[in-house]
Amino acid sequence: MKPAAFDYVAPHTVREAVDALGDTWRDVRVLAGGQSLILEMHMRRICPDLVVDINHVAGLDRIGLDDGTVRVGALVRHQVFESPQAVPGPLGRLCANAVVNIAHPPIRTRGTLVGSIAWAHPASEWCAIAVALDAVIEVRSSGGVREIAARDFFLGPLQTARAPDEIITSVRFPLLGGSTGVGFVEHRRTHFCFAQVAVAAAVTVHDGLIVDARIGLANCADRPVRARAAERVLIGADVSAANDHPFADAALAGDHQPVDHPFGDADLAGNRLPADHPFARAGRAAADEDAAPVDEPYADPEYRRQVIAVLVGRTLRQAVADWRSHAEPEGGLR
Amino acid sequence: MKLWTRREDARLLTGHGRYVADLVVPGCLDAAFVRSRVAHGLIREVDCSAAREVPGVVGAWSAADLSELPVCANEAAHLQDLPPVPRTMLAKLSTEDAVNGREWPSLAKDRVRYAGEAVAVVLGEDRYRAEDGAAEVTYRIDPLPAVVTPAAGAADSVSLFDGLSNVAFRGTAGEPIEEVVWRRAAAVVEARYRQQLLLPTPMECRTILAVPEDGRLTVWSGHQMPHRLRLELAKSLGWPAERVRVVVPDTGGAFGSKSATFPEYVAVVFLAVKLGRPVRWIEDRMESMSVATRGRGQDQRVRLAADEDGRLLAYELEIDADVGAYPHLGVGLPMQTAWMATGPYMTPRVHATVRSVLTNTMVTYPYRGAGRPEATAALERSMDVLARRLGLDPAELRRRNLIPPESFPYQTPTGRRYDSGNYAAALELALETIGYDAWRAEQARRRARPDALPLGIGLACYVERSGGEPGGLHDFAGVEADEDGAIIAHCGAASSGQSHETTFPALVARTLGVDEYRVRLVEGDTDAQPEGLGSFASRSAQVDGAALQNAALLFAERARERAAELWGVPVEEVEWSGGTLYPVRDGSAGMDLTELVKATGPLRVHERFESGMGFPFGAHAAVAEIDTELGVVRVLRLVAVDDSGVVLDPAVVRGQAFGSAVQGIGQALYEGIPYGEDGVPLMANGLLDYLVPTASEIPPIEIKDTCTPSPSTPLGAKGAGESGCIGSPAAIVNAVADALQIADPDLLQMPLTPDVVWRAARAPKYEEA
Repeated sequence: MKPAAFDYVAPHTVREAVDALGDTWRDVRVLAGGQSLILEMHMRRICPDLVVDINHVAGLDRIGLDDGTVRVGALVRHQVFESPQAVPGPLGRLCANAVVNIAHPPIRTRGTLVGSIAWAHPASEWCAIAVALDAVIEVRSSGGVREIAARDFFLGPLQTARAPDEIITSVRFPLLGGSTGVGFVEHRRTHFCFAQVAVAAAVTVHDGLIVDARIGLANCADRPVRARAAERVLIGADVSAANDHPFADAALAGDHQPVDHPFGDADLAGNRLPADHPFARAGRAAADEDAAPVDEPYADPEYRRQVIAVLVGRTLRQAVADWRSHAEPEGGLR
Repeated sequence: MKLWTRREDARLLTGHGRYVADLVVPGCLDAAFVRSRVAHGLIREVDCSAAREVPGVVGAWSAADLSELPVCANEAAHLQDLPPVPRTMLAKLSTEDAVNGREWPSLAKDRVRYAGEAVAVVLGEDRYRAEDGAAEVTYRIDPLPAVVTPAAGAADSVSLFDGLSNVAFRGTAGEPIEEVVWRRAAAVVEARYRQQLLLPTPMECRTILAVPEDGRLTVWSGHQMPHRLRLELAKSLGWPAERVRVVVPDTGGAFGSKSATFPEYVAVVFLAVKLGRPVRWIEDRMESMSVATRGRGQDQRVRLAADEDGRLLAYELEIDADVGAYPHLGVGLPMQTAWMATGPYMTPRVHATVRSVLTNTMVTYPYRGAGRPEATAALERSMDVLARRLGLDPAELRRRNLIPPESFPYQTPTGRRYDSGNYAAALELALETIGYDAWRAEQARRRARPDALPLGIGLACYVERSGGEPGGLHDFAGVEADEDGAIIAHCGAASSGQSHETTFPALVARTLGVDEYRVRLVEGDTDAQPEGLGSFASRSAQVDGAALQNAALLFAERARERAAELWGVPVEEVEWSGGTLYPVRDGSAGMDLTELVKATGPLRVHERFESGMGFPFGAHAAVAEIDTELGVVRVLRLVAVDDSGVVLDPAVVRGQAFGSAVQGIGQALYEGIPYGEDGVPLMANGLLDYLVPTASEIPPIEIKDTCTPSPSTPLGAKGAGESGCIGSPAAIVNAVADALQIADPDLLQMPLTPDVVWRAARAPKYEEA
C-alpha cells in the first residue's frame, strides 16, 4: 500500500491550480482533504502523474452567503458542518444531521464537502443532499467558469461531468426557508462503513400541508438519486399526525448506537407507519420507482428497497418533527 | 507510584513500543509480492524482466527463476519438542495422506490455488521501490473453475490437486448412534449451521526481518512460536538450528494467525541468505485480508435428542470443514470441534464426524477459539431449539443436563477427560447477573404488544480446552539470579500482547516472596531461551505459568542447598524467606540472595514442565432487541461468566474476556468474507468491507468469574484467552432467535447482518408452547 511516484505542486491561487490542471495529457488529480484520493493512491488504483494540492489556495476555505444561497468553498472541511449554525436555517440542521454519518471525527477534520461531490461515490451523503436541493457545482478551467446543476453532474459511480482540466471551486446550495423541516437518516452495518442507504429530506409545510418536498437518496443507484416519485406523493399531505411516533428520534433511526434501555423505557410501540400513510407511500414510491439499487454483499436489491422504503418514512417523520420544533410562528418567514 | 496497569503499558501506550517494522537495519531490502488476482488457474507465464529495470529494484523472481526455493510446509514435523505442525500427526490431528502430493510452494509454480497466492517476489531498496517493481511484473494465468464451498469441494468435480480428492482428511469422535435412539426420543432437533470464515485481524499484520551475519541468521518476527519458526526456517535452509536466532519484539496481536511458517517467510529468509543482505516483509492490511490465515469455516449438520423430561439422549454432529487451498494445521483443527462436541452436558451418546475439504481460499488455521466456538455454537443453538420444542425454559433445560461438580474428572463420549468444573454455578451467576427473570418479564410485556420491538434472551454454556494437545502440553522455564541480585525469569512463551511482562514476574515474585520489580522476564528470543513451545491454545498462564512457578520453587531449593553447603549445615536447617536465606538454628542474620550469588556464583534453574489439559468453562447471556423493519440487532446486554481456574492477574484476565467477547460479537453480527463465484473475496476496500466491531458497536458487557482450580498443574490455572469467542456468538444468535421466535433455526446463519435478520423476521414463527 505505497503509492507510485507522482509529481506534486502546491499552488497558491486558483489560477495557478487551473494552469496545473491544463496538462490534459497527464493524469492530474486535485488534493484537498485526501479522504478518498490518498487511499486510492495507496492501493495504486489511482496513479496520478501530478497531484495538485490546493490546500494553500487562499479563499477556498470559506462558507459564503449571498442572495438565498450558500457557497461552500473547496477547502471547507466536513467538521465545520457539525455545528448547525455553520449554515443558517434548516439547511444548517440538515448538514449537521448528515455530517456525523461521514467517517470518523479525525477524518472529518480533513475531508471536504466539495471533495465528496468531486469523488461522486454513490453512498455519499453530500451528493444525495446536492441532488435533493438542486445544488450548483461551480467549476473553473483556463476557458473560464462553468456552472453545472447537480442533476447533470453525477454520471455514475465516481463519474461526473467535470472535465479533466476543470477544478471545482465551490458548490452552491439554496438556503431553506423557515417553514421547512429537515431530516437525514442513514443505515449502515457499523459506524465505520459506507451507508447501505441514506436519505435526506426537506419538507416545506403550509397550513399543515406539505407544499414542497425534496428527497435525496444515497447508495440507492449507481449515482445519487432525487426521489421525485416519492416527492410527488407528498404534495398536499397532512402532517398533523405525522410525528406521533417516536422514530423521529434519530437514535432509533437505523443507527447502531448501543441503547442502554432501562426496563419499561424501551417501549417503541407504534414504530411502523400504516401502509396507507403518505410517508409510507412515499417510501414505497422511492423504493420502487426512484431507486435502482445494485447488488452488493449484505444488501441485495430486494433488501435495499425495503430499507429505502423504511428510511424514507423515518426521515420524513424526522423532518416533520424538525419543522414542528423549529417552525416560526404563523405569519413569519416561510 | 504505579502509573500503569501493566508493566508494558508505559512503553506500548506512549508509542515507545518497538515492532519489527520499527527496527532499522542499514541496507535492508523490502520485499513485495506479486499476487494472483485469480483464485484457481494454471500459470502460463510470469515475466519479471520489466520489474528488474525499475530504479531501486534489486531483484525480481518468479518460482521458475528460483528453482532452489524451498517449499513452505516442510518436513520439520518430526523435530523434537515441537508440536509437529504442519503435518501435525500429533494427537491424530492429521495424516500422511492429508499432505502427501499436496505441497505448498513458497511461490506458486504452475498453478495458483487461492486469490492472492504469490507468483513472484520483488526486492527493493524500500517498500515503495519494491511495489514499483511488483507493478511491472506481468503474468498469464488460465482460470479454472473455483471451489468456493466445502460442499462443492467434496463433490470433486474440480480437483485442486490433479488425481487427488479435495477431501484431505476424515475423522470421528465417539461411537455411531443407533437409529432406534432417535426414533424413541421425545424430541429430536435437526439443524444446519454455517460457521463462517473469519479473519483474525490483528492490529499489526505479519512481519519478518531476516538479517544474515557472520554465518548466522537473525530473524525478527511478530510470532507466537519462535522456536518452531527457528526450526522450520533452519530446516528450509538445510542449516542446524543453532545458526538461526529468532527474536520476537513487540507484537501487535496474533489471535492464532502468527504461529506458522508462511510462504512469504521462506522466500524472505531464502533471499536474505542468497543475497547476503537483510530483507524484510511487512505485510500490509490489504495483503493481510487476502492472504492471512482464515479462522472457522465449517458447515455443520446436527441432531439432538431428548426424552420428555428434557434429558439429553444423543447428539450427532457432522462437519464439512473448509480448510483452504493447502492441507495445513486447519486440516486437523475440526477434530477439536469433534472432540469438544459433548459440551458441558451429560449426553450419553455423542458422535461427531469430520470431513476436511480443500477449497480455493487461503488456508484455514486456528483463530482465537479454534474449533471450540464451532462446537459451542452448534450445540448451544440446538439446545435453545430443543427447549422450545419441549416447552422448557432454556435455562432449565441446561440445568437438567449440566455435568454436576461431583462427576469430575468426567470422561466424555468424544474422548475428552474434563479436569474440573462447576458448570451450574457459572450458569446461575450469569442468569443472576443479567437479571434473567426481569428480562423474561419485559419480553412477555412486549410480546403482548405486537407493535413493540421484539426482545430476546440468549444463553450459551460452554466448556473448552486449554494448554494444547498431548505431546504439546509442556514448556520450558527458568529462573536465574545475576551477581547483582536481580532475578530473571524466562520461559518458552511469546507474548503478542498478553501481558506476560506483568503477569509472569509477579507470579515468580509471589512464589519467591520477593518484590515483583526485582523480577524481570525474558522470552521470545531463541538465543536467550534455548527451548520453548510458544503461546497458543490459551496455554501461557496454564503451562508456562505453572512451569515458572515450578522453576521458582526449585530455584529457592537450590539457593537453600548452596547456603547449606556454604554454612556446613543440613539443607533442612536453611530457610528461604523473602529472598533471604536464614540458618534455622542459630538465629543469626540471614544472607541475601545477592550475597549468596556473590559468594557462590550465578544461580540458574532451567526445567521442562509438563501440564495436563485444562478445561475452562462458563456461561454467557445476551439480551437483544430487533428493529424488524431493517433487521438491525441491538445487543442491550452481554454477560460473560468465565471460569479459568486460578487467576494470576484479574485485570489481565478481564481484558482477555472483554476482548474475546468483542471478537465474539464480531462473528455473531458483523464479520464474514463474501466470495464471488470466481473464488475471489469481495473486499476491495479492506476494512470498509470486512467490518469488525469498533468502540461504537460494543454493547454493555459485564464480566464475572467463578474459580474452580484445575488439578492439571499445581498452579491451578486454566486458559483464559478465548472465552468470549467461544461463548458469546451462540448467546447472541440465541437471543435473536428468541426475539424473532423463528421456527426454522437454519435461517439464522452468522453473521447476523441486517439483511439476514430482516428475512428471518418475516419467516414463520414457532407456535407458542
